Amino acid sequence: MKKLWSEIAAIAALACAASGAVSGVGAAQAAREIEGYVPEPMPPGFNVIVNELEGPVFADAAGKTLYSWPTRSLRNGEAGDRKNTPSNCTDKVERVSSGLMSPYPGGLVMPDVDSRPSCQAVWPPVLAPSTAQEVGKWSVIERSDGARQWAYDGYPLYTSVLDVRAGDVLGGSNRKIGGGDEPAIRKPVAPRSNVPPAFAVRQVGSGRMIVMQNGYSVYSWDGDGANASNCAKECLAKWTPVPAGKAAQPNGEWTVFERSQGVRQWAFRGRPLYTYNDDPKLRSQIGSDEPGWHNVYTMHAPAVPSGFTERDSHAGIVLADEHGQTIYLYSCGDDALDQLACDHPTTPQQFRLAVCGGGDAARCLKTWRYVPARADAKSPNRIWTTIDIDPMTGRTAAQGQAGAMHVWAYRGRPVYTYFNDKPGDVNGDALGEFYGTRNGFKAFWLRDDFYNNAG
Amino acid sequence: MTRHLFYLAAGAALALGISAAQADSPPGRKIGYVLVDKAWAVYQTPDGKSECPQGFNDGPREQFKALFPEDKPHGVVDSHLSREADIWFPAEKEPTTDKGALPYHEAVGKLGIGLDLDGKVGPKDFVSPEGEKGIDNELYRVIGCVAGFRGPDGSYYFFQNEYMRRYNFNRVLLEITDVDDLTNDSDVTVTTYRGLNSLLTSANGKDIIPGATQKVDERWGKRYIHSLKGKIVDGVLITEPGDLMIPYADTFQTNVDQSFKAARFRLKLTPTSAEGLMGAYVDIDDWHHQLSVNWGAAHHASYGQMALASIVRAARRLADAYPDPATGRNTAISSAHELKFVQAHILHSDKPETRTVASAK
Repeated sequence: MKKLWSEIAAIAALACAASGAVSGVGAAQAAREIEGYVPEPMPPGFNVIVNELEGPVFADAAGKTLYSWPTRSLRNGEAGDRKNTPSNCTDKVERVSSGLMSPYPGGLVMPDVDSRPSCQAVWPPVLAPSTAQEVGKWSVIERSDGARQWAYDGYPLYTSVLDVRAGDVLGGSNRKIGGGDEPAIRKPVAPRSNVPPAFAVRQVGSGRMIVMQNGYSVYSWDGDGANASNCAKECLAKWTPVPAGKAAQPNGEWTVFERSQGVRQWAFRGRPLYTYNDDPKLRSQIGSDEPGWHNVYTMHAPAVPSGFTERDSHAGIVLADEHGQTIYLYSCGDDALDQLACDHPTTPQQFRLAVCGGGDAARCLKTWRYVPARADAKSPNRIWTTIDIDPMTGRTAAQGQAGAMHVWAYRGRPVYTYFNDKPGDVNGDALGEFYGTRNGFKAFWLRDDFYNNAG
Repeated sequence: MTRHLFYLAAGAALALGISAAQADSPPGRKIGYVLVDKAWAVYQTPDGKSECPQGFNDGPREQFKALFPEDKPHGVVDSHLSREADIWFPAEKEPTTDKGALPYHEAVGKLGIGLDLDGKVGPKDFVSPEGEKGIDNELYRVIGCVAGFRGPDGSYYFFQNEYMRRYNFNRVLLEITDVDDLTNDSDVTVTTYRGLNSLLTSANGKDIIPGATQKVDERWGKRYIHSLKGKIVDGVLITEPGDLMIPYADTFQTNVDQSFKAARFRLKLTPTSAEGLMGAYVDIDDWHHQLSVNWGAAHHASYGQMALASIVRAARRLADAYPDPATGRNTAISSAHELKFVQAHILHSDKPETRTVASAK
């Protein structure tokens, strides 16, 4: 137990150490940028860990992140767990496709079927002892094999085999990757962010962004003082102070100050908050083009590898490698009933090979290029790491394997550049099945002024 | 004449059935338009039997069923993923069944919509419905018998405009400058931009009306700024050819462009609208990329029987321009768009460019 707590402390320390008010891509999370959450009663052994990317998430006694698998409507039906019902993730090995994603029919034999794991082998259920007591949103649901499984808010809980170190959140993410045809993915389960009721936190490419409940961005201004607004007259033609109602109370990093007699305004970490009158879309960063104005985050995105840059594209800002080539993420979920992921180097690669090279690994390597990491490259955090890949299989390489490539990975998955891009191009964006969200590639969007690709 | 008087006069002229010619020169010798409707030009008879005597083409579902009969077991890799591979990396030839290669029906006949791109009347050229000879639109042969491309209810035909109208990413502006007379002017300049604003609709939310303001996207949209020289003859704008690119995202969250080679416009102008054709060559690889990202999801392509790989193979077969110097094989195909614009006030920024780093504090 002592070791566990020291690991958790180390995670928190990591979040602090990776801090600094650095601007631009690679901006480390600023000092003390740890998102607050609303404490709630938990069964013994569970706790909350603040991950650099996902913010606060629930974890088990071993520091393993907890996930749920909420039902998701797919094109021809649903997959996932229903609320307050037993888990659909069992020890059954799904050998054939479900046909849930048209136009391909069900009954097709899955790739690598003889070594395909069961759902519960990949997503071990979080079992509850016979003495477990329900508390708050935590309840116990009986599995089909009679075992008792913890549930949160009615949804059975799991851990991920991809999470190895305490505090890893590699199994799933709360960041939306765009479109509406993603697989029925598992999501980390989190306590409520400690924001006043008028606000919400949204996970976007540039960090965990504070928005109003209706989704519009909030901004802060360099011209203001601590808990004091200097935005008046002409300034108010463009910016609307976020009003704090009569009953609004300061809470942690959230404060309320009186901007004029009887008119109260919200501030976060001492910075008065505003909305931008000309914002045309939700989760916008357009107001931050006004000099001195900034979007507001509970946590900025984790630092990116040294040398990575930002590039203007024709729709917004993307992350790029040291040569200015846009970085892409590959996402994949298969169409078996258990919707297992196929985007990690430990999972079947046939899906990726089909869309990156027509099934030809050599063509894949020319079309979608791994981003090489120098042998001595240092991971800035647990989100960006270096891994060794067997380029011809796409699988994790054995230690010392001849021909292995040392490459950059985001959340444990390799990142790519696209052969047909010049710096600033995003020609590979949305390439693959269902616009790159189901078996394909999406650019690493940091800002998108037209759609919601940045989150 | 003030801007308002110009448009009032124009409206009155139109109401009286007088040519827009009498409407005078536009204010500031320029007029702007915003694109509200676009479609790859397809000549259609009501039942399609004239141009598609063998019927319309099969789509992904029909092809899958033919290639992978339900009475035999199949694997994801050999069926589903092999079909996906063909979308992104089309094979040279159509896949075969025991009945032979899957068929593909090209549009036939002499009638076609488009422009004379090469200044010649060749054996493969179409004649326009109005009788103009030398029409170059080989892409029509490729897509003319694919249900999704046919108006007014082909799925792609419909959604292409639905998403163009819905998302400002696709806002195409046309500004005509140096205009002394909107009916006859021997020397005008036509510039394309991307606009940043939503379209202005009537009270029913459906009809797009003129008179809105469109701010030019001078930051992200630099790649869409192109200028062509042109003239106006009897109220018809005719431009010289030039290369251009427009945003062309036809579905959710995509950011695709379409490039055009030697593009030229022929648009009937009024003070409130511009309507007509854009003829151009499209690079096959570029068109394949645009189409497959936009409509390559086999689910959506199935709506309009759009078998992407088969369509691209047909385009390669029928390519008629820009031969590869090494192989001699044509790399581009002639095409035409039917376009409708409404008048818009185009607003150019006078601010210096501002730039914000997304993650900057």
